[in-house]
Amino acid sequence: MNTLAKLLRVYAVQIKNNFVREAVYRVNFLAGMATDVVWIGVEFTLFTVIYANVPQLAGWTKPQVYFFLGIFFASDALFTTFFQRNFWNFSDLVNKGELDILLTKPVHPLFLALTRWINLTNLFNLALGLGIVVRFGPEAGFQGGWRWLVLAMWLLVGMSTQLLLRFAFSIWIFWTERSWAITRMYYQFFQFATKPDTLYPKMIRYLILTALPFAFISSIPARALLHGLSWGEYAGLAAVLGCFLAFNTVMWRLGLKRYQSASS
Amino acid sequence: MKWRIAALVNGFKDATAYRVEFLFEVLGSAFVPAAIQWVLWYAMFKIGGANEIAGMGYSDMIRYTMVSLLFTQVRGGDHDFELQEMIRSGQLSNYILRPVGLVEFVYIRGMAPKLLIAGMALAVGSVAGMFFGISPGRLLGAMVMAFIGNVIHYQIGAALATTAFIWEEAFSFLMVKNMLVSLLSGELLPLSLFPKNMQWIWQSTPFYLYVYGPVQYSLGHWSHAYFFQQLAWSGVWLVIGWVLIRASWGLGMRRYLSLGG
Repeated sequence: MNTLAKLLRVYAVQIKNNFVREAVYRVNFLAGMATDVVWIGVEFTLFTVIYANVPQLAGWTKPQVYFFLGIFFASDALFTTFFQRNFWNFSDLVNKGELDILLTKPVHPLFLALTRWINLTNLFNLALGLGIVVRFGPEAGFQGGWRWLVLAMWLLVGMSTQLLLRFAFSIWIFWTERSWAITRMYYQFFQFATKPDTLYPKMIRYLILTALPFAFISSIPARALLHGLSWGEYAGLAAVLGCFLAFNTVMWRLGLKRYQSASS
Repeated sequence: MKWRIAALVNGFKDATAYRVEFLFEVLGSAFVPAAIQWVLWYAMFKIGGANEIAGMGYSDMIRYTMVSLLFTQVRGGDHDFELQEMIRSGQLSNYILRPVGLVEFVYIRGMAPKLLIAGMALAVGSVAGMFFGISPGRLLGAMVMAFIGNVIHYQIGAALATTAFIWEEAFSFLMVKNMLVSLLSGELLPLSLFPKNMQWIWQSTPFYLYVYGPVQYSLGHWSHAYFFQQLAWSGVWLVIGWVLIRASWGLGMRRYLSLGG
């Protein structure tokens, strides 16, 4: 309990520091918001163009796909707000030996490594995503009520999936000199998360539900909220995320053993 | 001329220094968007049972996607981001002391990997074209158009990068431009799928010259006359881009402080 209280206190300080930094760069804040709006606009336009030509896409109606996009943006915004920036700096921690400082602190170094930078601008994206969910939810068949609480839980699942996946792609920095090729690969695969999983042919669909579970970010949450999932699907989701957690834990420990300060 | 060749050679060396990463990047950025396109066509035609959409059947869509692969790798580049970073961090000072045009220098150095990719794409396209009935002449013309598109793309980026003289950075503006380009260049889907009342959106930008135009010409959907007309339009866009760069950099340099914009 004491440890948790200490972590929360440290996290509160991190939030305060990040808020002060972002308040200084106000134009960046506005420009960041503009980028998010355009990104959302591009994804919406893409599906608007497609639905101008077909009434349904692999069983998904237009409002259902918009609902899916709302969940995707909200879930991604949570990850981007609280974790993304830390991963951009992750390679520097290892390559420049900055991890040394974190290893000397009386808090778990991984906690510090993953929570140091917070991008509060992206909370705007979360609001936009939720706005889309509210706007298109009823048309898509989302029944609301207590299910809003379930929606919150699914957003956390989406964020956790991104965290685990991004970590699994980033941890290789302990063994490689440069990380940008793997990072770029992650963002290429990430595009699979921007479409509902039932659109994909069997092989890709299997891949994004198991080895590269990008479907857990928004596709599975949207399907769960609109149609419900089978017990097998719930078990699969828990097993895959559990495996990723175990893999990341082992790799982090192995990486630390290999870490040689600034010369890594 | 000498420094231009030196900049190009420098760019080639930089691109090929990390060959595995370079290959990974090319393959990843080519095949994942193509896979996404294929998924959409699969969902529309195979799962949805559509026969024809905007005058195109399933095989037409696949052909479009395959040929677009040759041009999506030529478009773009990150050298406009390099410019904004130079302005933001003050590194620009190192370059303005030298007897070279900075904007041109950064472009030439950055276009080296694109030339390499364009050569590879032409070779692959010429071989594949023999089986799919694509004429090498059309392919070459289309690649010229794609490369002019690459220059226009950089010109717009270089002009946008100058907003870093005014604000802290121009990263977000460049990201916005890239997002718009991904949709309006025809990289994500053929622009003919846009409903009639939305066609003006892509027609009023030069982005369709990057991918959609070259693909249409390669596949024989554009006549030679229409292609040359579009090539003339790309010339107009080049002039507009040149004027934009002159104006924005002229204004920006007046505000430049060597510790950043």
